[in-house]
Parts: sequence; C-alpha cells; structure tokens
Amino acid sequence: MVRARGLAVLIIATFVAFACGGSSGGSGSKGEIDIASDLPTSGSDASSGLPTQEGANFAVTRAATVRGFTLKFVPFDDAVNGVHDPAHGVQNVQAMISNKLILGMVGPFNSNVAKAEIPVANAAPLAMMSPSNTNECLTVTYPYCQSADGFTAESLRPSTVNNYFRVAAPDTFQGPAMADFALKAAPAGLGITKIAVWDDEETFGTGVANNFAKEFAAKGGTVVDRKSYDPKAKSDFHDFLASAKANGAQGIYVGGTSATGACKARGQMAGLFNPDIYYLGPDGMGDAQCLTDSGSMATGNMYATQGVADATQNPSAATIVTAYKAAYPGASNIGAYTFAGYDCAAILIDAIGRAIDANGGNAPTRAQVITALGQTKSFQGLTGVITLNAAGDQTTPTLQFQQVQSGAWVFKSQFAVGGTS
Amino acid sequence: MIGALARMPSTLRTFGSSQVSNLVGLLIVAGALVLTLQHVLQHSASFFFQILIIGIADGTIYGLIALGYTMVYGIIELINFAHGDVFTLGGYFSLALFPIFGIAEGKPGFGYVIPLLIVAAITMLLCGVVNVAIERVAYRPLRHAPRLAPLITAIGMSSILEGAMYLWRGPFSLHYPDLLPLTRFNIGPVNIGVKDLIVIAFAVILVVAFTLFINLSKLGKAMRATAQDRDAAQLMGIDIDRTISATFFIGAALAGAGGITWGLYISSVDPFLGFITGLIAFTAAVFGGIGNIPGAALGGLLIGLIRAFSDSYFDSSWTEVLIFGILIATLVFRPTGLLGMRVPEK
Repeated sequence: MVRARGLAVLIIATFVAFACGGSSGGSGSKGEIDIASDLPTSGSDASSGLPTQEGANFAVTRAATVRGFTLKFVPFDDAVNGVHDPAHGVQNVQAMISNKLILGMVGPFNSNVAKAEIPVANAAPLAMMSPSNTNECLTVTYPYCQSADGFTAESLRPSTVNNYFRVAAPDTFQGPAMADFALKAAPAGLGITKIAVWDDEETFGTGVANNFAKEFAAKGGTVVDRKSYDPKAKSDFHDFLASAKANGAQGIYVGGTSATGACKARGQMAGLFNPDIYYLGPDGMGDAQCLTDSGSMATGNMYATQGVADATQNPSAATIVTAYKAAYPGASNIGAYTFAGYDCAAILIDAIGRAIDANGGNAPTRAQVITALGQTKSFQGLTGVITLNAAGDQTTPTLQFQQVQSGAWVFKSQFAVGGTS
Repeated sequence: MIGALARMPSTLRTFGSSQVSNLVGLLIVAGALVLTLQHVLQHSASFFFQILIIGIADGTIYGLIALGYTMVYGIIELINFAHGDVFTLGGYFSLALFPIFGIAEGKPGFGYVIPLLIVAAITMLLCGVVNVAIERVAYRPLRHAPRLAPLITAIGMSSILEGAMYLWRGPFSLHYPDLLPLTRFNIGPVNIGVKDLIVIAFAVILVVAFTLFINLSKLGKAMRATAQDRDAAQLMGIDIDRTISATFFIGAALAGAGGITWGLYISSVDPFLGFITGLIAFTAAVFGGIGNIPGAALGGLLIGLIRAFSDSYFDSSWTEVLIFGILIATLVFRPTGLLGMRVPEK
C-alpha cells in the first residue's frame, strides 16, 4: 500500500516535471512550420537525390526556428522502382497540400517531374523551389516549347501566379558555354577547332547539341560531323567513331545523358583514338554512371557542364560546408546538387521569415510565402548570391565546368551567365 | 503485329513467289544500292573498309543470334521472343564469371585466352539450361494450343528475363571489361583492329561449327527430321521432346556466345540490350529465310552491313526505318527470304 502510494507520487512528480519542461521549452515557440522536399531518394536515382535531400535537411535543422516558429523537415521520395516518377511526384505534392503545416517544398529533382507537379502545386498554391531542374521551358515560354516539350511556362500555371522557382541554370546556357570553352585557347579553354556533335534524339539532348553546334560554328569552329542516335537501338558506336575520326574531329560533343548512353561511345574509343581525345557533354553526363561506361577511357579530357556553382569554391560558404561534412561524412553524402538543396531550403526559410514579418508576426498563408519567395534579392547562398526573377529563374545563374581526374568529376571553373528576361 | 507474325506461315504460302513482286523487290534493292554508292564515293576508301569491317563484326554477331530464332522457328514454328534476352543473359553471366577466373580489365594478354574460353563455355552452358527451362515451362505445355498462346508466353518470358537482370544488377548499363587487344594495323589504306578480327573469327567459327553439326551429326539429323515432319520423325523413333530441348539448348548457347562477343566488342551490357538486338536478329532470320540456317547467317551479315553503312553514311534515324522496311519488303515480296525455306510444306 505504501509502495503503491510512493509510485503514485513518483508518477505525479514525473508528470509535473514534464509539464514544466514542456511549457518552458514551448514558451518561445509560436507553432510549427514544415518544409517538405520531393526528390528521388531510393534505388539508382538515390545517388543524386539523397545527397540533395540531406543538404536541404541540414539547412532546416541548422535554422531550427524562424521568427519563433519551430521548423520541421518533411521529406518525400518520388522514385518508383528506383527511377523518378512524375505521377508519384504528383501524389507527393497532393499529400503536401493536404498538410496545412507545409508552407513550401524543395524539389523536384527532374524536369519531367516538375512538368507534372507545377500545375497541381500552382492551383493550391504551394511554393516550389527546385535545386536541379534545368529544362528552360519550365520558366520561360520559347517558341518551340509547346511543340518540343508539349507544354509552356503559362500552360503549367493555371492560376497565372508563378509558384515555381529554381537555382540551376537553364539548358539554354549549357551548349553555348561549352562551345566557347572548347574553342578558347588553352589554358582558359581547350583550343579545339574541329568537333563532331552527336545527340540522343531526345528533347534535352537535341536542344543542347544544336545550341552547342550553333555557337561553335558562329565563333569560328567547324562541326565536322553531326549525328543523332536512338538510345534504345544504338549500342555499337564504332561506326560513329570511325566517321568522326575520318572527318578529323579533335573531340566529340554528345548532347545526351548517362541514362541515354552518352558515355558508351567513350568506352568504345579505346584503341580507335588516343586517350587524350576530347569528350564533352552537358550536366546529364557529369555523373558516376558516365565514368562506368567510359571504362579505361575515363581520362582527363572529359568535360561536362553543371547548372549550379560549386559551393566548395565559395569562401563565405566554408563554415557551413565544413559543418555539413562533419554531420554527413560519407563520400556519397555530397552530390552535385547537395548545396543547391541546402540553398533552396534556406531561401524558403528566408522567404517564410519575411512573410511572417509581413503578416504581423503570425503564421503566413502559402500565397504570402510565394509572394515573399518571388521577392528574394541578393540572398547569400552557398552556391552564390541569389536573386530570383518573376519567371522563377536566378537573374544570374552560374555554370560550372567539371573535368574527370583520377576517376572522378572535379571542379574546373565556373562563371555567371546572363539570366533570362 | 503479333497477329500478323502468328499467321505468317500461311502468308508465306498464299503470296508464294510472284515474278512481278520479285522484280519490284529487286528494283528497290538496286535503288538503295545506287544511292549508297553515290554516298560511298564521296568518302575515302579507307573509311569504306573500316565501316565494312565494323559491319561484318556486327553482322556475324547478329547471325549468331539469328541462328537461334531460325532453328526454333524451323522446328516448332514459334518465334522465341525471349531469345534476345538470353543473348543479354550471356553478357550478364560472363560478367559475373570473370572475377571467379581472375579476369579483370587492364592486363589483357595471352594468359586470358584459356580462362576466357572457359568462361565462354560455362556461359553457353548456363544460357542453354535457361532456354531449355523456358521451353519446358512456357512453350511445351502450349505446343498444341493456338499459335498465339506460345507467342504471348514468349513475350512474357522476355519481360521476365529483362526484369530478372534489372533486379540482379540494376537498371543502368554495366561496363564490360576491355579484354581484347586494342592494337590496330594498316594493310594499304585500310586500318584494321585486332579486336574486330577476333570478334569476327570467333563468331564465324561458331557458325561454321554449328552448320557442320546440323549437317553431319546424328542429333542434327534428328533436328532436321523433326523440322520436316514431326509425326514421321516420331514414328522413326526420334525422341521429339529431347530433340526440341536440344534445339533450344544449342540456340541459346550460340546466343550466349553472342552476348560475350557483343560485350567484348562494345564494352557494355544493360538489361534491355537484347530487346532491340533480338528484333534485329529476328529480322535477319526472316531476311535470310526463316527456318534456313545458312540464310540466318547471311541475313545477319547483311543486316549488320546495312546498319553500319546507314549509320555512318546516312543519318542513323534512317537505320531502323531501313531495317524494318527490309523486314516488311521481304515478307511482302519474297516471303521465303533470300535463301528460301529449306523446310518443305507440312
């Protein structure tokens, strides 16, 4: 009996202690605000999606609160069987919309997922902040967008108010930038005057290859061989390579991605070309799969563009990058878009903060967050100083050149490119 | 398309060999040749020979695969759609076997000849066993079912094999080690790779050995007898089930060898490689005359050449139009293929 009463006292004491602890901790919090992410984080896509999610998560954890509201990170995975899936992405966005605490999302990773998600999020509305989408038609309506991609920036936004923003440079810059780089004399460039240009017959690949070829020819270079391949049917590139060689190409630019076999031909070059032959391509090529396909030809003269700046080149980002590396020490924790993911979450938190201020210190509506996001100016991000325009692009996005060294893609150089109007 | 394929044998008979349609077919071929010649003359001779060798290398491998299609068709009138995936499986099996035999990229040499041949033998054996199992599970119970049934199960088996390879090693392509010598030499203006020659020699040896086997061995005789008339062959004491199993085994062994050769030649394999390669090899089999063994080898060689020349002299977007155009033209104008069906009417 005595023992039972003792237990009751102990339980009551514990309750009181917890209640006090709870109230003392909660006295500063005005409530919870959630930031979601939608990225492919399982299967083979996880190699690029997961490190991006970790970057965004790190930004939310590091901020912890905004204007007295507690921040929480809510990640979603849009991969089905290991590959990003637009329909699954839409389901995720619908789940986000039904969760009133979520005021914005980081993502998606892939342009075709963005194409499916933007209309749904736009109708809600829900702020989207993508670290890695590069399709130029997502933000700006070019004459070819409807016929080539089946949509325009306007058709994706039924409410006519833009809710979608991104930090990566659109595809329109990748081809011309690589062409200038290839033509420029060493060491600033590669000093190539004759080049073969291939594409994978896909919207993205054909677009970058044509833009590359146009710029290369306009600046005095010669495209000696122009070919397209069907990635489903073409696995033997020996004939393409023989043709490039017969035409005197000093290198090959492939408008394609690793998924469409852009680097298989590099693997077949062994013996036919010297190992120092140049092999150039867009961001879709700058990954580990490309190096696998290249085999023994994964040498220093492979270059790819990336749509975001390298945060490790930014001195003012050093503290946070070091802190991230301490929190996520694995080599696979840093991908090409990790710090872009961080920036996206940080920009969202910044915009939510300004929206709270504008709302008299109360929790803002989603529409208010979108308005604040569109007013982002000179934000000090890890990947650079970011200003967003009305269309959803950075005013001066950065392109990065990467080169293969000792079996890995490493930073070569980067520069700002003119933003879209 | 499936329905059309299933009905093909009857189509073969009804259209027969009309002189007029033969002439039209020949005119189309002649037109294509003139157009090609015009392009060929614009490039150097050394380029022509280089493409010729690439075409022959591709073509002999297509031929190896086409043999499996044509044998199975000849004996049970089934288009084994899973055959292309058994070919891919050859690449996957050998890739898994290389580490066991200490084969790795970067140190090619004569020391690899014996281990490579052992890997090839084991791979061929494994592919054979898989194909025999497929026949036992998916085709044999349906041997007397309507023609469409085994065709559908064949497509199903093809998807199952692709799915299995996807689950085994993932969706993306795998690097196949460069094991063949990369040396190239010149004969006059012609630049030839030792790798190309080895690939061609390996495939040609297999095709010749197989042809001899079919013509000279007792089992080969049993296969030919079964193809000609299954019931009569059975009355003569031939074990039909065993003969059909043997046909699937040998066809798959050749496809497996094709998988290794292809891997060595193009330095990569992926789970879906067999789908289009299989379709092209099937086209080669029809082109040469389905059911006809030398026809399949010849058809493979020609398709390989057409592919290489179309890809390098014209736009590769045309290649598939051309190859499948040939499939259609062959079926319409010369349903018996280039060398005709040796198997008589049943």
